[in-house]
Formats: sequence, structure tokens, C-alpha cells
Amino acid sequence: MIQLSYLDYSAVEGKSRLHRLSPKSKMVGMLLVLFAIVTVKSVLGLFLLYLVLLALFFISRIPMKIFSLTLYPLVFAFLFIFISGFQILFILLIFLKVLCGSTGIVLLLATTPYPSIFRLLGKFLPSLFVTALFLTYRSVFILLNVLEETQHALHLRGGFQWRHPWRSVTNIANAFGHLIIKGIESSEKMYESMVLRGFKNKIHYRGE
Amino acid sequence: MSHIHLPDGILPVWLWISGYVAAILVGTILLRFVKKEDLPRRLPLLGMMSAAMVLGASVEIIPIAYHVNLTVISGILLGPSLIFLATFVVNVILALFGHGGITVIGLNTLILSIEGILGYLLFRLFWKGLKRLAPAVFLATFLSLLASTLSMIGVVGLGTSHYEELIHQEHDRGIIGFEFGKEKEEHQEKGTAAKEVNLERFIAIVLPLGFIGWVLEGIITVLMIRYIRRLRPDLLRLEKEVL
Repeated sequence: MIQLSYLDYSAVEGKSRLHRLSPKSKMVGMLLVLFAIVTVKSVLGLFLLYLVLLALFFISRIPMKIFSLTLYPLVFAFLFIFISGFQILFILLIFLKVLCGSTGIVLLLATTPYPSIFRLLGKFLPSLFVTALFLTYRSVFILLNVLEETQHALHLRGGFQWRHPWRSVTNIANAFGHLIIKGIESSEKMYESMVLRGFKNKIHYRGE
Repeated sequence: MSHIHLPDGILPVWLWISGYVAAILVGTILLRFVKKEDLPRRLPLLGMMSAAMVLGASVEIIPIAYHVNLTVISGILLGPSLIFLATFVVNVILALFGHGGITVIGLNTLILSIEGILGYLLFRLFWKGLKRLAPAVFLATFLSLLASTLSMIGVVGLGTSHYEELIHQEHDRGIIGFEFGKEKEEHQEKGTAAKEVNLERFIAIVLPLGFIGWVLEGIITVLMIRYIRRLRPDLLRLEKEVL
């Protein structure tokens, strides 16, 4: 989740052709990738799609730190190895579907600023949902700052140690409790400042 | 453990579309219970709790992707209607980072909201009965996580015939094979023949791993609620019932 700031940085500061493409075209592209993931049922087809997405990733000069985000979902795909009874082709198929999906979505986020994505979503989804989505995204950044401070405090109090499980669990719980209290206080301040700026249940974007 | 970390294209189309339809229906019904004048005031809190859930899901406690969901505590703080919207938002954001597919957002919302809504209701019930915070929170969290994990297994189980088809399709089809309406009947025929898909093995792995997770999250939620009660007891609204 720490790579979130890199994603944002890449989306806003990137100058590649993919960055300059309109958000609408990129969303349509992502929908086509999703359609392919759902319909293509051969390892070769998915492998070709993955190669194309990888090529786009590197051509767009997206920071390499973000690449690990595309691999993270593989952790969960491992459970499906046990469902399949260790069928190699099935496992490959699942892994490629995971990689195509995550690479496609990271590609979209790393080349399109999130207000543009939410603005586009606002044309199809209820404004309440898009406002909630926007506030959540904003809150993630606020909480990330608090989390960073909390992680230092947690580390100073011993962090997570297998030798002291109870103390470790208490530390983690207190850290999350602190995170939530701080977050709620920030959300109250954020709401007050939003009301002062004329917030009435809907976020308006520049140019509207 | 109750979140379906499934990529796109694994579950049958009829299943994930049903998930979206059911999620929209449930969401529409639940949001009618929220007072309109309350909504703008509570939206930032909803955003913050959703962000906490997103962060909770990304902070590994034990390095096998074990993370806290924070859905029950969010349910207790937000109430059953807003927690549904919060889980929907959380699943969209998690899907945007590849943490679960985009097509399973509807199903994941239903499963996670079972956790949040049940957590809220059970907490109120146990609090009324026991009048002790720690056991009420622990039992509510443990039972809600158990219920959502069982529903997750149910959803994965519903797609069994589809996994069998995926295993067999390599030598049957070309690159693209899109099915929609005929899916169910064809799968039932193939399902009897194929024995590769082993759901029992999946359950045997998920339930014991899940049990550790339920206990761990139960303890963490108890400690967090105690911490919140010490600093901001108003957030728990233990004196009055609010939907």
C-alpha cells in the first residue's frame, strides 16, 4: 500500500503516450483486458496478453517499485493449487489470469490520475458511491501518514515478536486503535473544512 | 480469510453477475434506512473507516498474507447500512490494486458485508445479554468471521463445475471460449466425470487457517474496542440503538 504514493506520482508526472491517452480510452482498454481475462481460456492466449501488458508497462516508464504490486495477488492464487489437485495447466491458467488482471489495473492507475477515473465513474455510478470512493481514497493517504508514525511507535514498543505473542497482539491492537481514533478525528476536521467550502453530498471536479 | 481473493475469469459468469445484482439490491434496500440528513455528516467517517479497512487488508500480521479485515469494528462504528456501502468501496479500491478481481466485487461485497452487518447485530445482542464488552466483541467477531468464511467457501463451491471445465478445456477448445447460458448444463455433465477438483482439500486448508485468523482478529478487535471506549466512548453508541 506504500506504493500508492508512487502510483499517484507516476499517474500525474508521467509523460509517456499511455499517460497522454484520454482516461476514457484507457478505461475502455481495461474493460477489453477484463473481457479477455473472462473469455480467453488458453494458456497461450493469456500469455500473449500478459506479454502485451508487460510491454506497455515498460514502454510507459512506470517506476519499477510499482511492479511488485502486480505480483502481490499471486499469494492468494496459491490456494487454488490445492483445489485443482496440482494440475499444471490449470495453475498456469489461474496465475496468468491473476497477472493479466493485476498488471492491467496497475497500468491504468499508474497512467491515469485518480480524480479522472472517479470523474468518469461518476457518469455511470450514483454520486453517493463516487463521493464515498473519493473520500476513501483521500483518507488512505491521511491514514498512511498516521500509519507511518504509528509503525515507528510500534517498533519502539517491541513490534511483533513471536516470543511475546500477547504483548505483540496488544501492540498491534493499540496501533490500529490509535490509527482509527486519529483517522476519525481527521475525518471530522475534513468534513468541517468540506462544509466550509460548500460540500453538499457531491464532489465537483475541475471544469464541471 | 473471508475475502475471496479470486482473480477475474475463475468464477462462472452467471455467479459473478448474480453477485453484482444481489449486491445492488441489498445495497439499495439498506441505504433506505439511513437518514438523509445524517448522510453528509457520516460520509467522511465512512471514508475513513473504509480507508482503515483497505490499510488493514494491506498490512500483513503474519507473512502468509494474514491480515485483519477490521470489518466487524467498522460495522460496530458505522452501523449495518453504511457498512455495506463501505465494504463496496473497499472492494473496489482493493480490486484496483489487484487484491481480488473486478468481476468478484459484488460477491466480495456480499461476503464482507455479512461480516460487518452480522458483527454489528451480534455485538448489540451480546452486549444486551452479557453487559461485558470483551466477550460481546470477541463472540461477535468470531461468529461473524466464521459466517463470512463459510459463505466464501459456499461461493467457491458454486463454481466447482466451472473449475473442472477450465482444467479440461485446454485440449477441447481454441484460444477463446465464451459461454453464458449453456454453462450450467454442460458443467453438470462434465462434473460427474471429473474428479480433479478437490473442494474438500480447499476447505481442509481454509478452515484451520481461518480459525487462527478468527481468534486473532477477535482478540485484536476486543483490544481495539477497549482502546476506543477509553478515548472516544461516544463512537460506540452503547447507550442508544442507532441503525
